Parts: sequence; C-alpha cells; structure tokens
Amino acid sequence: MGEKIGIYICECGPNIANKVYIDKIIEKISSIEAYKNKELVIKNHKLLCSIDGKKFLEEEIKQNEFTHLVIAACSPKDHESTFINICKKTHLNPYLFRIVNIREQCAWIISDRDEATEKAIQYIRGSINRVSYQSPLEEKKLDSNPDVLVIGGGIAGIETALSLASKKRKVYLIEKTSKLGGKSAKFRKLLPRQNCNTDVIQKKLLDVEENNHIQIFKETELEKAIGFFGNFEVILKNVKDNNLKTELRVGAIIVASGFKQLNTSELPKYEYTQDDDVYTSLEIEEMCSQNGKVLLKSGEEPRSIALIHCVGREEKGYCSQICCNYMLKIAQYLEQQSSDIKIKEFYRDLCLPNKDDQFFLENLQNSAIDFIRIKDIEIKGNKIKYIGTDDTKKEIEVDMLILAPAMEAEDGATELAELLNIQLDETGFFQEAHQKLNPIATSTDGIFIVGAARGPSGISESILQAQAVGGEILTQLIPGEKIVPEVKVSEVLEALCKGCQTCLNVCTYGAIYFDEDRGISVVNEAICRGCGNCMGSCPSGAIRSKHFTNPQLYQEMVEALR
Amino acid sequence: MNIVPNRGAKISVKNGFRGTILEFLRNSLEKGCFDGILIPMRVPADDSYAWVLVRDKPFLDNANPIAPIVSVQGAKALTSLTRKGGGNFNVAAIMKPCDIRASIELSKLKQVNLEKITLISYDCPGTLEMSNYIENPEESEKIFGSLLDGDVWDDKFTKPICQICDNFSFPACDLHFALLGTENGSIYLIPGTEKGENILDDLGIEYSEDLSNWEKKVIELIKKKEKQKAEKFELVKPTVEGFDNLLKTFANCIGCHNCQSACPICYCRQCYFDSEVSKPNSDFILLRTSKRGGISFPLDRIMFHTGRMSHMSLSCVSCGVCTDACPVSIPVADIFSYVADKTQRTFEYKAGNSTEEPLPMREYRFDELLEIKELVKDADGQD
Amino acid sequence: MSKSNSVLVIGAGITGMKASLMLSNAGKKVYLIEKLPLIGGNIIKNEECFPNLECSTCMVAPIQQDILQNQNVEVMTLSTVEKVEGEVGNFTVTINKKARYVSLIDCIGCGMCYDPCPVVLKNEWEENLAEKKAIYVPCPGSLPNVPTIDPESCLQLSGKQNCSACVEACDFGAIDFSEKDEKIKVYVGAIIVATGFDLFDATYLPNFGYGKYPGVYTAMEFERLFASNGPTSGELILRDGVKTPESIAIIHCVGRKDQGYCSAVCCMCSFKYAHFLNQKIPDAKVYNIYSDICVPDKSYQKFFENVKRESTELVFQPSTDKIKVTKNGSGLDIKYLNGKGMEETISANMVILSLAMIPGKETSHLSKVLGINKDTKGFFLTQNRNIGSVETTKSGIFVAGCAEGPKDVQNSIIQAEASVSKVINCLE
Repeated sequence: MGEKIGIYICECGPNIANKVYIDKIIEKISSIEAYKNKELVIKNHKLLCSIDGKKFLEEEIKQNEFTHLVIAACSPKDHESTFINICKKTHLNPYLFRIVNIREQCAWIISDRDEATEKAIQYIRGSINRVSYQSPLEEKKLDSNPDVLVIGGGIAGIETALSLASKKRKVYLIEKTSKLGGKSAKFRKLLPRQNCNTDVIQKKLLDVEENNHIQIFKETELEKAIGFFGNFEVILKNVKDNNLKTELRVGAIIVASGFKQLNTSELPKYEYTQDDDVYTSLEIEEMCSQNGKVLLKSGEEPRSIALIHCVGREEKGYCSQICCNYMLKIAQYLEQQSSDIKIKEFYRDLCLPNKDDQFFLENLQNSAIDFIRIKDIEIKGNKIKYIGTDDTKKEIEVDMLILAPAMEAEDGATELAELLNIQLDETGFFQEAHQKLNPIATSTDGIFIVGAARGPSGISESILQAQAVGGEILTQLIPGEKIVPEVKVSEVLEALCKGCQTCLNVCTYGAIYFDEDRGISVVNEAICRGCGNCMGSCPSGAIRSKHFTNPQLYQEMVEALR
Repeated sequence: MNIVPNRGAKISVKNGFRGTILEFLRNSLEKGCFDGILIPMRVPADDSYAWVLVRDKPFLDNANPIAPIVSVQGAKALTSLTRKGGGNFNVAAIMKPCDIRASIELSKLKQVNLEKITLISYDCPGTLEMSNYIENPEESEKIFGSLLDGDVWDDKFTKPICQICDNFSFPACDLHFALLGTENGSIYLIPGTEKGENILDDLGIEYSEDLSNWEKKVIELIKKKEKQKAEKFELVKPTVEGFDNLLKTFANCIGCHNCQSACPICYCRQCYFDSEVSKPNSDFILLRTSKRGGISFPLDRIMFHTGRMSHMSLSCVSCGVCTDACPVSIPVADIFSYVADKTQRTFEYKAGNSTEEPLPMREYRFDELLEIKELVKDADGQD
Repeated sequence: MSKSNSVLVIGAGITGMKASLMLSNAGKKVYLIEKLPLIGGNIIKNEECFPNLECSTCMVAPIQQDILQNQNVEVMTLSTVEKVEGEVGNFTVTINKKARYVSLIDCIGCGMCYDPCPVVLKNEWEENLAEKKAIYVPCPGSLPNVPTIDPESCLQLSGKQNCSACVEACDFGAIDFSEKDEKIKVYVGAIIVATGFDLFDATYLPNFGYGKYPGVYTAMEFERLFASNGPTSGELILRDGVKTPESIAIIHCVGRKDQGYCSAVCCMCSFKYAHFLNQKIPDAKVYNIYSDICVPDKSYQKFFENVKRESTELVFQPSTDKIKVTKNGSGLDIKYLNGKGMEETISANMVILSLAMIPGKETSHLSKVLGINKDTKGFFLTQNRNIGSVETTKSGIFVAGCAEGPKDVQNSIIQAEASVSKVINCLE
C-alpha cells in the first residue's frame, strides 16, 4: 500500500530516557514480523517539543514523505497540539498522526525500567497499527449568516437587540404581545439600589424602535426553526392570524421569553379571594405606575400593610433572587406615600446578593418599618398567622397584604424548548450549556438564553446577560467569516440502520434526524460534536464515529495486547 | 394510555373459548370494526401453525385464536405487517401475552407501528413444545384441548418457559379475553385502552363491573407460577454463573444462530456476529490459540450468546421461541429469562409492560448517576 | 490615528481567561497579564465547585491549556500594570514583568530542580499551610508548568551565597540567573480589568479567634486543606496535628457587617464545606451557623436542602458580630445568641470562617494607574450603576468578575462576555 510510517520517540531529557530503554524500544519495534509490509522509520530525539526538536521533525517528515506519523512522548494534553501544528505545516493530514503517552503513562509511574519499556512498546505498537486504519479527515468551511432572531421583547430581548444591531448585522425582534418592554416597563422605579425611574427603560425602548437594523415583529411567535449555528431557517407566525407567516434566515437565536409569577392560589397556605386586599408585587407595581399611589379596593389609603417574602419558594425549590430587593423597594414607595402607614415585612432570610443592596436595607431598618423574621406563615384574607424565630405563634390583621410570589418560567417555555431542541432544567427554566462556564449558551450551538427565561434575574442581571450574548455572537458569528464545524463527527451506516431511533433519544445536541423516506437516522455533521453517545447506544452497531471507528479501536487493542 | 381492568363485557361461551373468540372476531369484521385480522392458522400439512392476515369472514373458520404452539413469534408477524408504517387499514391481532409484550417492545424500537393495530389477547394457558407437536400433532391438539377446557390449567405438558411465566394475563393490550374463572358459561372481554373501549361501544356490548372471580383466579395462578419460577431460577443459576459454567452450558452450541433469527427482539439488519468484522483471519486465530493452548470451533460461541444477552435482555419477554428453535436442545429461554429478570430488575423495567415506559437505555435519570457513584465507591473500596 | 486591534486583559482568573479566549476568537491580539506565576485564579484553589460538585481543576484546566496554546493570546505572568497613557482605541500600557529566572521555552516542568534547593519558605498560595523551595511552582498542576525563583530568598539571587543547586539539577539548561525584570510597552485599544477578589482579613475580628487558636481556619485555608492537590493531599490534618476533627462549626457572614454587603457566594461555599466534611468524615458533627441564607440561583436551594438533610445541623443566630470563639480544653467553644436572644454554646475542634469577599489588594493602586474610580466598598465603579454595566468611569476600560463586586463563577463569566461585547463595539 506504500505505507510509510514515521515513529519518533522523545527522550524528554532524562524524563523518558532514564526510565525506559529507548534503544530496546527501537530494536523491538523494528523487528516486528507483522510490520514487514510497512516501511517504518524509527528515531529518537532529546526533546521533540524544543525549537530544535520541532525543526528536526519538520525536516524528517518532508524528507521521508511519511503517510502516517506516530510520536511517543508526553501527555497529549501537553504537546499534541504542538505536533498537530507541525503536521499542518508539512502538509501531513493531522488525523493520520497519533501521539503515544509514554511519559505520564509509562516512565513516570513504573519504577521497574524493563516493565516500563515493555509497556511503552505495547502502547507504540497499538498506535502504529491504529494509524494505518485512520482516515485523513478534512475540515469543512460553511458560510454563515450573521443576522439574529431575538425571541421576547422584554428588557433582556431589547438589550440583546441593541447590543447586536449594526450595519453588518440585522436583528429580528419578535414579541408575542402588542407592546415591547415586558414587565419592567410597568414598574414605577427600578430596584432601590438603582434608585431611578424607568426612564432608562423607556429610552431603550425608543432606541430599539428607531434602530434601522432592528426589525420588530409584534404579536408574533416562533413557529418553526431548523438548521444549525450560522444557518437557521425560521418561520414566524402572527398570533392573531396564524396564516400570516414570515420566513427568515438567521445565524443565531436568542431566547428572552421572560418569566411569570407563581399563581398564589396554588398555595394552600395563602387563602384569599378577589375581594380581599391582597396583591402580588407586580399588581402593586402596576397600581403605582397607574395611580402613583397604593390604595385599597375601597379607594381609601391603607393604614397597615404586610409585605410577605418568599411566597412559594419552598414549593418551587429555589430562591427567586430579586424579591427581597423589590419588597424593600415597595416598602420605600409606601413609606414615601405616607408616614402613617404601618409597614411590616415578613421574611425568612434576606437575600441581598449585590454589593449595594445592604446599604438600602440598613436605611430602611432605621426607619419605622417593622422587620419580622418568621419560621412559618399562613394567611386567610387579610389575617396573618405566623411563627416567629422565638417559636411563638402570633396573629395580626392588616388592611393590605403584598405578596412576593416566586418567579416561574413563562407558559410557552416547554413548547419553545421543543421547537428549538433545547432543554429545560428541573426548575422549568431553560438549561444552560454549562451552568458555570457557559451560562448563556444552550446545548444547541447558536441558541442562547438570557434574562428571566434562563432563571430568576432582575433588570441589571438581564441587561448584563444580554450584553454577554452580544459578546458571544460578536466573537463567534462574524460577518463574512466561515464556520468550521467539528471534524470528528458520527455517521450512520445506511446498510445497518434499522431505524429504531434510539440515537435520536441520546443525542444531546439534536444532531440526528430521522429520514422517513429511507427509514434511517442521519447525522447532521454541522451540529454533531462527535461525543459518541449515539455510537455507544446503537443496538445495531450502525453508527460510526469518525476517528474512533471500531476497526481503529480494535486494531489498536489487538496490537497493544499482542 | 393503558387502563386498569375494572369492567368487562360479558360474553357467553359457545363452542369453547376458541369458538367464542372466533365469533367475536367474525362479528367485529362484519360490523367493520376491523379491515383484517391477524390470527394463527394451522398449516395445510397440519403439523404447525402460521400467522395469517384474514380479510374474508369464511377464512376465520379455519383459524385458531389460541394455538397450542408458537412457530413464529407474533411480534415478528406484526413487524412484517407494519415495518413501513401504520397504513390506512385497521387490523386486529389476536395474540398471546408474550407476543403482545414483544410487539410493545418493538414499537418502542420503531419496528412495529401500533397506530392502526388493535391488540387482542387472552389468558394464556401456555404452549406446547414445537418438537413434540411436530411428532404427533393430533395427540398434541388433544392434550392442549383438554388443558384449555380443564378447570385448573395444568401446565405440566407446556413448555418449561410457560411453566414459569407469570405474565400470562392482561398484557398492555387493547382488548383481553378473561378466560380464567369462567362463571355460568360466560367469560369477560376487558378493554385495556380507550381504543378497546370504543370497539366494545361500537359493538354495543354490555358491561359487568364485577371481575372478582377472574382476578382471584389470576392471582392464584400467578402465585403458583412465581413459585415455579423461583425454583427454576435456582436451578438455572449455577449453570450460568461464571465463565466456566457458561462454557459448559453452551458446549454443544453449533453456532447456527437460530435462536437469534427466531427472537422477536433481535431486530438488527445484520447481526454483528454474522458480519465480516467478527470473523478473524487465521493468523489471529492462531495467535489466540497460542495464548490458550487450544481453541474450539465455531468461534466465539459464548461471545455470541453473551453479546446477544447484553443487547436484548432488557427487552426479553421470555416467550421461549429461542429454545424451540435450538436444534441441540439448549434451554436458551430459561437462561435468557433468568438474565432478563435480573437486568430488568436493575432498571426497574418490565419489558412490554406498557407503551409509556421508556426503554432504560434511552433515558437518563439523575438518581441513576447517584447509584453509579455509590457502586464506583464500593468498587474502589473507599469509605 | 487608527484604533489598535489589541486588548489588554488584567488578571488571568476564570473571568480574564474567558474574555481573552473570546477576543482571540474574534481576531484580536490579547495581552493577558497575571501578577502570580500561574494562571487560573482563585477557582483552581477549590477542589470542587458548588452546586454540581464538578472538579474545579478539571473544569478549568482545558481553559488554561487553551490560553497557553492560543496564538493570539500573549500571556505574561509575574506582571503588573505600571502606567497607562492615551485613550480608548489607543492606550499605551507599560507592564512591569518580573523575571521568572526559568525559561518558559526550555523548561519542560519535570520538577527536578525543587529537591536540591536548600531554601525552605512558606507557600502563600497554599495559604501558608505548606512549604515551598525558593524555586517552586505554587502547587502541583500549576500552569504554565514552569517554576519560578523567589529572588529575595534564593541564595544566589539575593547574593547571600553562591548556590547553583537548581542549575545543576536542570537537564535542559532552563534556569537563567541573569534574567532581569522587564518593562514592556504594549499598545492596546481597550482594557478589561479582571483582577478578582481577596478575602476579608479574619484577624480584624478577634472574637472569632483566628490566628489565636490553631483550630480556626479561613474558608480559603479549608479549601486548600481539603484539596487533593493541597498541602495534605486532601487529608484533614489540623494545624495542631489533630486528624479528622469530630465536630466542625462553619460560621457564615464573617466580615459582612464590617464590609457592608453580602458576598452572595459564601452561604453556598459553607454548605459545600459541610458536604465535603460529611463525605470525608461521615461521623463528624457539622454545624452551619448562619443569620440569613442567601442562595440566589435557581439551582442553589436544592443543593442547600440536600446538605441540610444529609450533612449539617443549621444553627440560626441573628447577630454574627456577637459570636465568640473561645478555648475549651483541647477544643473550641462557639458562643452565640439564639433567635430568642439567649446565649448558647457549641463545642467543636475546628471552626471555619466564611469570610466576606473584599476588593483585591491592588485595586486602589490600579484604579490610580488606570484613572478609574472605585465605589464606596472599594470595588471598581461601573459607569451607569442604575442598571447592569461593565463600563468603568473611563471610556475603553471595562471591569468584569469579582473586581466589580462579589459574585459566583457564572456571573463572572457573564460579565466577561458582556465586557467582550463592549470591547468589540468600542474598537469598531
């Protein structure tokens, strides 16, 4: 076959040279019967990763015109990329190269030099055999569309649109209601630490409406989305007239679909009717921005008000993060409205996780507001029963109650997740690609989550997340630049696939679809990341992971265990 | 959605259970509930049964809904019928609970499409061994007939796997004939799904709410079978535990792979063990020989059986066709049933139990990860 | 004058690394400077991260590798900013790069040089719980995996003695005593400040007994004590030699009142410690002494509830400043006021103080060098505090991560991403 394999053993100074017998390795490998039909060049070098070593290797590859290359050296973590770069430089396909770790896996861990040498020989044999079964894989380059679709016209969606719209990038912003601005546009003031009116938000609203690079679709929902990062095809539909559809091509999709407040009637401990003066925080915000004042249903001013934190927190299983803060804000409204109002805040824990929050709390604590820490609470109309931290049961009655219900994912989240092939986590919000390291991305490349759709967050957090999406897209989806998808992807062998669709269930990236006509599964190579889940799960062995094929693994094993 | 059996249509028995079921099928065919019926029919030579899709009523006269043997697993017939989709015709399939369980498994694996199929089952008395039947069909028919008509279903002549089957009644079917605990010459036809209920409504059959007699009998029989199963498994256990015992048990395997072709769950287009990949060259065989001192042919017999086991035991319904298919009388079904019992228990899964339960290998559950963490810890000998 | 296409990122913690990789992806040249000899920041001091208990080093190592191998990112360790001139689009930055005395190119990280070095020092990176030589890497697995020589303690470099033990041990000729500190000028269009945080100095609050009783640990000390690559390889051996403490009290909110803010992550850290301790010493009694539970992420409360159920006893007390740690025989007594205002006592052999996150030591100096303002708490001030922002008071300079205020990893990453968006916009 004209195979010519270069095998280079790095001495890594004394690290490998003093712990294994390199000459013995060379002697053994050169004399292997099974390799008689292959042309092998076996050499050692003092330090292949050094400038000298790299130059040596480069010249060797050029001179010998190798078809395959095996380097026995350190961990691939250290220098695989170094040698891949040399391959690229010398026009040897890097997928025909393999690094064998004889330092960490042999020299450094086996004290017996003969044993270490033996193991190194086995590893090298395995890799020599493996490379001849490797195929030269090529990187593909795909055109990409820099435009983006933003789902949700609340503050997170607006900020996302603003941070991405430019001469080179169009933003399509869709909103299912007839108004942009979302819930925050209804607020009278922003959180106490921000201590400002909602002008900031109104300004942003105006900016979005006036921006030439942002096209707004009101009363519009997503109907369908197919494709992959850089190339999505989406269909939008008008919520009132389902036949009114718009087709668009975008490179990325940002979900900013917001939240809703927990329906308090679901909670057994909160018993009240429409006639009682019991309000949710959002209702109070709306009342304030309409009347400028908090009033009872009778039209009179309340004289005593109880603010109840953490409504539904226990049931939902998470803290909504911003309620303590906005309850302090509402207390501030009330205090400013009239000094005659007796305000009591009922809380379990105060969660004020921003460096500026505590200052406002301390201010309020110095005022007439009564902060009552409780262990349990129950309401019936405007009567409150509670247990304090001293374990005593108390009962009071107030004119008005204001509840801080937990934040929940918006109603359509499940459908949206299905449409976009992204996941919801156990709280019902959208799931991040990696909670810590990739918090605004999803498991599907090119689809991002921001604001309260991702989890409880306030205006500041939503704005930062929107800008963060801006950062991700500006650095990944650059106008005019091509996208290079993963090379080591999976493929389905048509002759073996029985169409049981097990692979569709296990693929976390949604990279596999079912071809109804042929009755087989097909891998979309632009989405596949080569994780190998499908290959492991296929009952018929019909899926092959390029660069990790059965023959490759088998031949490596066979030789290593010979 | 499968529903709990809580009421049944009362049908008086005429011409035995088989005649009663046939009469129902004729009726429903006539009323247009179905366009066809998939049912066992004796072959012209009279020494076996085949699945026949019947469209004309008179054809049913030769059919036998409760066949004494299984030649081809019912799920295989359904696969052939629906592999390319549900089609436009409504078909009733009258099958044993194990046929139905296998069909449910295959429907999860997209090899059977149940959209247009009405699954009808019955309390199964078990079936006879294929080899015995072929030897003397008429005698076998007589034995099976008296078993079916008997007051207590005596399973001593049935296949060993049927003797330990505790899934003989009410699988995840659309309609079920409750034959056990017949009262005053009547049996019950119990709906198992909304589809089944609709058919009964169409036929205008009246319901009885009291199924206690049937339930009592079923529970009694289950207890008996469970006991027999436990005893049998005690016997199987030493024959499969450890590599040496496996070798002994499969020592006379001739590598014909009949068990695999008969198995309804083995649905791969090409089995790995039949493929070229699994056929090593002579050098490699010699190399293996040099390590062991000797090697026997056909190669990889244990590998084949353990490989098949690991592939299908989570969906194994213990129907026993593998034993029937084995030309050298290895009790394949007993062994697979024993292993399947263990693997399915591990995943708290019961093959063919319901259409909703997802296949264990397709589902990730967080608590499983924790279990694995514990297992790993134990294996490491930490803590 | 056209705008520079380069960016300076100060601080190679998780925030700075993330921002650098993103900018490099967009074709920017990045100068990533780090004052320590290793990159990775505080996160790599943790064994596992809450709430998913992922191994931190495993999580971060690929990012560190990416940084070191990235052609667009020039990493400068042992470096600080000395001077910044110019304005957005055209900053001239003078970097003070200290000599490492070990060549990053020639050294292969085999570690043969440590043993022969005769100088033994306290290892600050290991919270002084371990020792190091004058030629050292802060901990096993440090990246870049190349040692540094401490010039003040090295016999040769400090001129105390003519010693070349390390030079003789090195097979690669990687050690160079003649290397000098450098002043490097770089031209950049924008600057991201990601200098992270420090922890509140527990010796300011003598009532907690830190520094006085060997059984009292800071949170970071405990992280290292627990870490499998730490000074005791993860074995819980206390300063006074006590092995596997039987009871441990974790005190939340230490320094919160003094700093005037909640640090947002300490509750979760404290519960993580309880979980760790329960895993390692299942029989130990673990107390979490808290005033408010702050678990502000959708996934945090579940972790807290699991820990509460399995690993710890929660002790509520409303006034952390009233807590007193005193000696009781060989153990410690923790006295506090309960919800009814009555004094109660818990006995433990180990106390862990969950300390407030405070601005990094260099913040004041850096704010002067960069010409940007600090807020009242000492963190870098963002321009438009009404709403979330990463813009500092000077155009073209952005702040991300804990340099802006206490936060968890995901919020630091979000700020890194946001600051990258701003940088790219301002350089266009």
